[in-house]
Amino acid sequence: MIGITTTVPVEIIYAAGEIPVDINNIFIADPDALQRIQEAELAGFPRNVCGWIKGLYASAINQPEMERIIAVTQGDCSNTQALMETWEMQGKEMIPFAYPYDRDREMLQLQMAKLSERLGADWAQVEEQKQRLDRVRALAWEIDRLTWQEDRVSGFENHLYQVSCSDFNGAPEAFAEEMRAFIRRALHREPLSPDAVRLGFIGVPPIFPQIYDFLAEQGAHVVFNEVQRQFTMPFPHADLLEQYREYTYPYHIFARIADIRQQADLRRLAGIIHYTQSFCYRQIEDIIIRRQLPYPVLTVEGENPMGLDARTRMRLEAFVTMLRERA
Amino acid sequence: MESSPDQDKPSVVQRQRVDTIEFYRHYGRLRDGRLQVDFAALTLPDGLKTVSTGYGRNTLQLSGGTVIPELQAHTLGALFQTDLLDFTLIDLGGQDTKIIQVRRGRMQDFLTNDKCAASSGRYLENMAQVLGISLAELSQYTEAPVELSATCAVFGESELIGKIVEGYPIDRLAAGVNATIVQRVLPLLRDFSSEVLVFSGGVAQNVAIVRLLAQSSGAQVIVTPDPQFNGALGCALAAEKNII
Repeated sequence: MIGITTTVPVEIIYAAGEIPVDINNIFIADPDALQRIQEAELAGFPRNVCGWIKGLYASAINQPEMERIIAVTQGDCSNTQALMETWEMQGKEMIPFAYPYDRDREMLQLQMAKLSERLGADWAQVEEQKQRLDRVRALAWEIDRLTWQEDRVSGFENHLYQVSCSDFNGAPEAFAEEMRAFIRRALHREPLSPDAVRLGFIGVPPIFPQIYDFLAEQGAHVVFNEVQRQFTMPFPHADLLEQYREYTYPYHIFARIADIRQQADLRRLAGIIHYTQSFCYRQIEDIIIRRQLPYPVLTVEGENPMGLDARTRMRLEAFVTMLRERA
Repeated sequence: MESSPDQDKPSVVQRQRVDTIEFYRHYGRLRDGRLQVDFAALTLPDGLKTVSTGYGRNTLQLSGGTVIPELQAHTLGALFQTDLLDFTLIDLGGQDTKIIQVRRGRMQDFLTNDKCAASSGRYLENMAQVLGISLAELSQYTEAPVELSATCAVFGESELIGKIVEGYPIDRLAAGVNATIVQRVLPLLRDFSSEVLVFSGGVAQNVAIVRLLAQSSGAQVIVTPDPQFNGALGCALAAEKNII
């Protein structure tokens, strides 16, 4: 078992015969997630640090069998370096991985080669794993299509299956089977109301997934989950390096914005929710997002896994009401 | 609120303010997941239409009443109180900052603060307490404000104590507190330019903030006649005009 702090070229981990575990998923699925935050704070993490970082820290510490962690030091979170240093102090083996900010092909190739060498995977095996995982990804793409094109999949289901593509739940074929069964069920459902307010959700996955059901109760349908969709590598490239260059999330924001604009038009969005964590550098990027996206944007901030607070509910409801009245 | 044929708009019959904790302690109780209000104890007649808004909207359902979204209530309240159709509404309440762009009498866009309540009435109350003066006195000072951090109410408080220790006079400290509120609000107004700013919420009673806001925004600032009742008036209007 190898922990990962976000999406990495997971083909390399599978090629090395290892099982990747996205620590974010362990944390957020933990019924005592809030307890993990408190443990990290007791260990000395400041209160004004992102809840995901604290949750990741304690979740990995609570898994002694997770001896090695691949930590993304560039292209994800600016706190990861200190996070990996605190893990290292606790005896975990750290494997850094950096997405080059400028998407430089050679730099990315070097990073992937170093990771393969460290884990003992050879490149032919890595290419084989790409074929294997692309077959699973195709099912996630179909779930995404059923969300925006046929209105048969809810925003939460869309989020859940796509976000799971960071590690394929550690068992790609079983996960594929789960998705096939879900698709069969979804195809037999009645489509959701065509009158729903079509929303996009951009930014990191939310620390309160309850947001999706709340929005559905307000008569909105989230038909686009930006980063979760990116986790499914929705660009069928034969070349693995190009696949991870086209992946927008870890590079500069303007490529993300181009992707968001294209998908927002395609999926006929009425408005966009920009989610950021409290105390995250991505709050600064909100300036650019608001300027460059020609859509109504509501910025929502989450801190800890405590569900939706009253203020956020009030704001979401007002946003949906406003979009409905505009239509 | 009631309407009469010889008036073109409804008029307020009675209004009453009850503090949050007092309200929940004495006049409301939970039954089957809904909040039941003791109207008799509030000296209100039974059988009136009831409309509520605020945080309770998504937390508690009012028994026998209708709830409307808070931003809608504030928009309606400002339309009623000003008779304007195009303006940007700034509502600074106890914990919330709301900026609502109103065009042709409808909410066009909005911004609200998220987690941090730094530019709220609660902040002013805390700071007045630290300075040992009333909110009324606090609202008199605009000149030569001391520099205070506009980022956080808690940091701001320790900073203010630091400035007191450095020997600054009360008028400059109070002006600094008032200026901080305006500094927090201005970035929110950036995308909502308007010649007219309608100002409501308890903070609008602070005339120093009104003056500083007008100076720094260059806009005409109109304080609603009844700033603290803006949302409540919006609810009453929604009931009276059967908007709900």
